Amino acid sequence: MELVRNWFSKFSLDRIQLELMNTAYGSGHASLSRLDPRGLLIWYLFFAIVPWFVNSLTVLAGMCLFMIVTTILSRVTPFIILVLCLGLIGQVGWLFIISLFFGGDISSALPLLKLTLKLSVVSLASITVFSGLDPEKISDGLLALGIPAAFSFSLSYGYRILPVLFEEFRNVLLSYRLRGKAPSRPGLLHWRIGVYYLKLLVYAFFPLMLATAKRSRTTVEALETRGFSYGLNHPDAKKLKLSHLRFQMRDVLFLTGSAAYLALLFWIG
Amino acid sequence: MNSVMNRKSVYTLTSSQKMMIFVLSMSLYGLSNMFTELIPSLQLGPIELSVEYFAFIPLTLCMLFHPFYAAIGAALGEVIFGELMLGQFGGLGEVEKFLTFSFAMYVAGRLVRNPQNRAQVGIAAITGVIIHQLCSTLVDIGKVWIGVEEFEAVPGLAESVVIVEGVSFLNDVLFSGILFALLPTLYLVPRLYGKIEPLLGIKPRKKDTQYEAAGIISPKLVLTGILLALLAFGAESLSETDWNIAEWDSGWADQAGNTAIWLSLGIAAVIAVIVLLLMRSRKTRQGNTDTGAGGGVPHA
Repeated sequence: MELVRNWFSKFSLDRIQLELMNTAYGSGHASLSRLDPRGLLIWYLFFAIVPWFVNSLTVLAGMCLFMIVTTILSRVTPFIILVLCLGLIGQVGWLFIISLFFGGDISSALPLLKLTLKLSVVSLASITVFSGLDPEKISDGLLALGIPAAFSFSLSYGYRILPVLFEEFRNVLLSYRLRGKAPSRPGLLHWRIGVYYLKLLVYAFFPLMLATAKRSRTTVEALETRGFSYGLNHPDAKKLKLSHLRFQMRDVLFLTGSAAYLALLFWIG
Repeated sequence: MNSVMNRKSVYTLTSSQKMMIFVLSMSLYGLSNMFTELIPSLQLGPIELSVEYFAFIPLTLCMLFHPFYAAIGAALGEVIFGELMLGQFGGLGEVEKFLTFSFAMYVAGRLVRNPQNRAQVGIAAITGVIIHQLCSTLVDIGKVWIGVEEFEAVPGLAESVVIVEGVSFLNDVLFSGILFALLPTLYLVPRLYGKIEPLLGIKPRKKDTQYEAAGIISPKLVLTGILLALLAFGAESLSETDWNIAEWDSGWADQAGNTAIWLSLGIAAVIAVIVLLLMRSRKTRQGNTDTGAGGGVPHA
């Protein structure tokens, strides 16, 4: 449990909240976010599916490089990159260790390297699009591509509400800690502390559920006053809502540039 | 609104109430997903004590509200908060997670008739977790079984996947399942019952409450479940083509057989589900016109 303490000292809840705020609100200034969301979503769809069917190491590495560039362009917070790396290590590293245990050798690392490349291309593409873009833009793009309105709304709502919910959760947790009593002895490997925190985490959801219920009622009422369900059933309303989306020169340039780069990769690979 | 007046025992929701349940379930479970992504796991040799998910949130909501909207909302919350925002979105493979998770939570919610009966709540909670874990474990092992020719190229990889899946199944059911599904659900459901529903303007469920006619008759429920699982399996085995070590072009001939089979199975499953849904919606429409003559026949 020493690990847990180091973890929490490095990534205080304050900092995570700040990063979340940044993801939710600070993405308007990135250079990629000026592109048309529909084009970017189609672009994403390509990079989410095609890497699974590619086996050439050169092509995959080239794609990965491209994704790294776009991720940097979309100005993603370091916190998300860290979570991504942890996820990759967790998914692939553990499999590698066990396959060594069953008599595999270093040669089983090559297919696993490919797997890592594929996973990172897919993940970085999704980071580029879904963390780098303005949530409302993604939502409008999804709506334009025919995703049900409840889903596309939930996406932008989720981005916006997460920092708020997070803060509320922290307040509840802090008040529980103030009123409660932490275990006097940490116990072997700090297990008492771990159990105490996990218990708090679960208890804190009781008031949070009630508060979120109120909040979701307010949300839906606000939606209804703006004619959300009317808009669901009337294509004209949807058209009006999406009329601001425009395919421009830079979208064409971005998409053709990506296509040209990929064609070059496949030609080499 | 009228149907509430006509038949007291039927649990009918307005579209905004459905949306409220959906939003509530999505944001709560999404938030919890952020934490479970961040809590590090404790490794004791081969046994990994990890907090897989806070299943108690969707379970509680499915038991208190209409399980369909709560289950779909929770599954979407996981996709948005746990996957898209953190850049962990796996593409096609997420289809399987989404379907198995919402199916398991839905079944768990349907199992409970009286939210104040602790035995029912407990059994439903652990059943929900077992259904979900069993589905995903079988899917994962099935993928190994399909790709077994490719697997021989890498010694030990096939066995390791079976072991990893088996251990993680036991871990998820015994550790996460009891600590983060069973016990919290037993704590939360009786406490929230009667308190959280009025906040959304919904009457609390009663013992004799039937879900509206769109509810599912049990054989149909089972059939849909199997079809959904098949669809999920098809999607997953397509997305797991990363396992083939042979070149995509040269391996195409023997690969095409399997892929084509699963592709067609998947398409068949999609069509079957659509047909079922169409049939059900037609039945619902008929049911609504029949209610005057049919009286209080329970639909679920």
